[in-house]
Amino acid sequence: MGMTAAEKILASKSGLSTVSPGQIVYPVPDWIYLHDNFVMTAKRELDALGIDTLFDPDRVMMTSDHDVIYVNERALERGVYNRKAARDWGIKHFYDAGRGGHGHVFPMEEGLVLPGMFYFDDDRHCTNVGGIGALAFRVGEEISTVLATGTVWTRVPHTVRLTIRGELQRGVYARDLGFKIAQGLKSGGFFGIDIDYRILEFAGDLDQFSLAARVSLCSSPTEMRALGVFFPPSEAILEHARACAKRPFTPVTSDDDARFEAEIEMDVSKLEPQVALPGGPSNAADISSVAGTPIDHAFIGSCASGMWEDIALTASILKGHRIASGVRLFVTPGSEQTTRRMHREGLFETFMDAGAIVLPAGCGLCAGGRMGPVANDEVSISTAVDNATGRMGAKSARLFLGNPATVAVSALTGKITDPRNHI
Amino acid sequence: MNEFQWLLKGRCYKLGHDVPHPGGVIPNWLIAGRYLDPKDLVPHLFEETDPGFHTRCKPGDIIVTGRNFGMGPKMNGYIAMQALGLGLVCESMPFLAYRAAIGCGVRVLTDCVNVTEMCETGDELEIDFRDGFFINHTKDIRREYPPMPDTLMEIVELGGNAGWLKDWQEKRRAGAA
Repeated sequence: MGMTAAEKILASKSGLSTVSPGQIVYPVPDWIYLHDNFVMTAKRELDALGIDTLFDPDRVMMTSDHDVIYVNERALERGVYNRKAARDWGIKHFYDAGRGGHGHVFPMEEGLVLPGMFYFDDDRHCTNVGGIGALAFRVGEEISTVLATGTVWTRVPHTVRLTIRGELQRGVYARDLGFKIAQGLKSGGFFGIDIDYRILEFAGDLDQFSLAARVSLCSSPTEMRALGVFFPPSEAILEHARACAKRPFTPVTSDDDARFEAEIEMDVSKLEPQVALPGGPSNAADISSVAGTPIDHAFIGSCASGMWEDIALTASILKGHRIASGVRLFVTPGSEQTTRRMHREGLFETFMDAGAIVLPAGCGLCAGGRMGPVANDEVSISTAVDNATGRMGAKSARLFLGNPATVAVSALTGKITDPRNHI
Repeated sequence: MNEFQWLLKGRCYKLGHDVPHPGGVIPNWLIAGRYLDPKDLVPHLFEETDPGFHTRCKPGDIIVTGRNFGMGPKMNGYIAMQALGLGLVCESMPFLAYRAAIGCGVRVLTDCVNVTEMCETGDELEIDFRDGFFINHTKDIRREYPPMPDTLMEIVELGGNAGWLKDWQEKRRAGAA
């Protein structure tokens, strides 16, 4: 019996020839990742135990993406603490504020996270790396165990395979498909499966999806409690990886006779642009059902929609136009690399001419609305990963999610608008 | 280590399906406020559905739940359960809830199919978490459920993740000495 890609990666990192779902293993990761909001918790726990040296500081990656510009005293204190922690621990891969961007975006752009790699992370959005054919598991507070010992107990998950049939229409994007997939994966959803602690592996007509699109598609299943998402890397992805790789890597794909817990499929050729209605990313609805709803606030960015392609799409729509009076639009690139390219290619001018506000690379508004929050009773449409009540500020605000084009067009018209007539 | 009680004898406290961690197990304000001290958490366990629960339960009592218990990866409610010496037996748990319970040192069995049909609140139960044996003395029912994996028993015996890591560090220091 063959293994799925996730099983092969876990077996390899655990020093085993084979693993099967349910088995408990102790994989040694390629990276141990923690973001700025978690460093203090982990360091204090380890300090209290007298653990002042890490398993392997060279494997540790620390990023500052949740609080890039410190908007309160707590964030400021944390930034100071994190810099000292990086020095004390001897972390070389410390990407301080302004030095990398979003930790679930730039490592794939810069050849740090590569196909076939595995890492442990404090945050569930590490599933993004499935877009490049890697695997990462969230372990929350147990990241301190990994920092100290180099591993933590891991139950091998089942894998569900989703086969995509057909191609997305012009003006329909990966986020639209993501919302629809989330609707199918939720409890009682149309796929009729349980995705809790499973890997969702994509198959079928995948060549239409770039790295940015694949990363977008990793987002929504994560909100439905998938442990991981995995795309077998295409030749284009491998070419990108080879061009920027800073470490050796070995791509992994599922064996032909791998056992999947469930097989589901989806014809995407007739899908319309979707929005996620307020409450959660699985509340997918055809955009026509809410078109015309006035908006006050818009945001483009997050780990789901912050790559160059997302930002460039947005700029192509805004170029030469002004956003509607009374609407504020925030744009957050996912990485410093994208920010630099925005400078080089004149996108800053485009956004400024449009009246948009460009924020430094990172999570942007998606990190709990620390920057650019919504006020009471406002209506927002954004590319955030989640639109739970209160996620971006006031609890009485109505938060819609859409693809970057939908958000950009809606900011121009001042109301939720189907992007297909504007691209 | 030898005194650790893997066999619990106590009263059943039965809950239904889909009890969420925030609200269902412990009030959300304690989760959002990142309260992790057992002293803060114990008085509020099951407070929203059963105020004063902590004054009526005894060490060794066993919480028996339906499917999908404790949705959400947070640890607060399990810290209170561990401090009170309670066991936990579930028809199913989201994996991260299970992981949180283990990480807090709670004796827990999951995937116990239809276990809520085998008992009622107040029944006298006997559960051995090492081998999964379940006895309801009140109803004279015996069942066998999946036991705790050996590798996770070590974490629970040491009081959860923090205790396990402390033990790891002490052994490392002793080895280096």
